[in-house]
Amino acid sequence: MGIHLPSLLPQMQELGQALYERSLQVSAMIPKAIKALHFTAELDHSDLQSKIKKAGDRWTGAIPTEETLNLTFPPPTAPQGLHVIGADGSQIYPDRHAAAFYYLINVGSIVVSHGSGEAPTIQQESRLFFEIEDLYDEADHPVQNAYVNLRRDVAEMKTLAERAESLAGEQTLAILDNSLLLWMALQTGGSTSRETDLYLQQYLKLLDRLRSSKAGLAGFIDRPRSVSVLALIHLAGLPDGQITQETLRLTPFRGLTDRAIFTKLLPPGHRSALFISASPLNRDFRTAGHEVYFFYLNTDADGTVVRVEIPIWVAQDPGLLNRVHAGILKDCQTTGGFPYTLVRAHEVAVIPAQERAAFEDMLQRTLLGHGLRPTQSQKALTKQLTGQRKQHRL
Amino acid sequence: MPESPMMIGRVTRCSTRGFVGAMQISENTLPVFGSLCQAEAQGGRSYVVGLVYDISITDDQFARQLAALDEVPQEQIADGQLNRQVPVEFSALAVGFHDDDGFHQSLPPQPPLTLASVFSMVPEDSVDFTSRLHFLQMILNAHQLPVDELLATTLRLSAQARPEEEHERFLLQAGREVARLLAQDLTRLENILRGLRIKE
Repeated sequence: MGIHLPSLLPQMQELGQALYERSLQVSAMIPKAIKALHFTAELDHSDLQSKIKKAGDRWTGAIPTEETLNLTFPPPTAPQGLHVIGADGSQIYPDRHAAAFYYLINVGSIVVSHGSGEAPTIQQESRLFFEIEDLYDEADHPVQNAYVNLRRDVAEMKTLAERAESLAGEQTLAILDNSLLLWMALQTGGSTSRETDLYLQQYLKLLDRLRSSKAGLAGFIDRPRSVSVLALIHLAGLPDGQITQETLRLTPFRGLTDRAIFTKLLPPGHRSALFISASPLNRDFRTAGHEVYFFYLNTDADGTVVRVEIPIWVAQDPGLLNRVHAGILKDCQTTGGFPYTLVRAHEVAVIPAQERAAFEDMLQRTLLGHGLRPTQSQKALTKQLTGQRKQHRL
Repeated sequence: MPESPMMIGRVTRCSTRGFVGAMQISENTLPVFGSLCQAEAQGGRSYVVGLVYDISITDDQFARQLAALDEVPQEQIADGQLNRQVPVEFSALAVGFHDDDGFHQSLPPQPPLTLASVFSMVPEDSVDFTSRLHFLQMILNAHQLPVDELLATTLRLSAQARPEEEHERFLLQAGREVARLLAQDLTRLENILRGLRIKE
């Protein structure tokens, strides 16, 4: 039947009104947040560190670095002969209603050699997972989508590492269309922590390879919803004796994002100061020598502010840090503040509905060729039948 | 079948009246309006002869965004032209077929199948095929196409496939045949005959 538009129309009006009112509240908060950021920047570094310590392990704010945290940094000159690698992945999730139980991971990558005039090199790797050990975890539960995402993230990083190694010795920047922290490792649901840890270790070894190849590495997060810098400035405003889990939760900046304040602070091309992510996951990264830092960056004249995550070995190497900063800006010049390489990597990786249908058709024929009778579940079949019904358009 | 034909794409839609092919963009292999091509049919036992009457590039919002910029880096232009999966589509009118008995100027018994290879026609085959001009009537019957320009361009390209000393003789012969077919429509005839002149 589709959605019941008549009942949704009044709700849509309410949604519009609520968002409008929220935007007014958020706008009113921004000057206060910026003032609080300047106040935090004036605090003694050791006092701030002492407050962070008091906040405890569960606090997930931004940890300041030696850079003054309200400073902005202008764009450095992009290096000559810069190679920018972009990688992105997509997947077909396992579906127990489909003709066969499998999943597929598709990774697309591109290397753009800026200033060469040559066509970029494109790679695409598609892999089908159908063995019992791929499909069921150690407790014999079918794998969850989050587990497929985890394997996809590892595959993306593997592609970046391989392509960076092929350009070792060159001025190379590898960009991932995601956070560098392997968030999926925290969200694998039914999968055992041993398997998750296995992939986390693989991922960290891939970061070792990227470091050895001397490439700059960045995780690019468009339209970030992160509030970690806001958490820091809220913490900075709390008297030492009042830092508790309760007071940390009662932030006056609820509804605001870091992006909103840095959109006001960062001129085009400028980056913010460096911060360290206080995520619990970052402890594993720190132990392996890849602690994740981040900064905000205004990537175009229209004020597109993104979050860029980098490993410690990029953050502490001024040459690599400048390469990431300038390289991302260069790669964003024609694509409205989002890297060209990531636009194209996504385009290579994505599995359009038509291709997916053709793949499933081929799969059914292959099964028939092996004497198997592929059948979808009755639920999937009836969904197809009812989904094909023509709808009257409004 | 010619010895070394150049593959220009693969069939994506087809009927006995014609076919549509798609290819990756490459200016070198881009088919030319009015040129002849051949598509495999009947499991390779025959080739449908097609006349390219339309070449189009699929609309693409990303390319449109780049095109609107003052300056696009050469790498991105090369990426768009060589790498991106934006196929050029070309449409061909079926004007004959080739089998063990040689060329025939009539609709083929079967259309090519999806993904059949499409080759440009080499000059020797083009001369052979156009040695008879019955296919001109098939072009004139294709009302929905830019028939006059297509007919003039095809004949001009067919003349150019011949040795230089035969150009004029072929065009005169073709002009007479067109005059016979369009005896009742002198305005169109004049238009086509004007188009037959080889540009210097």
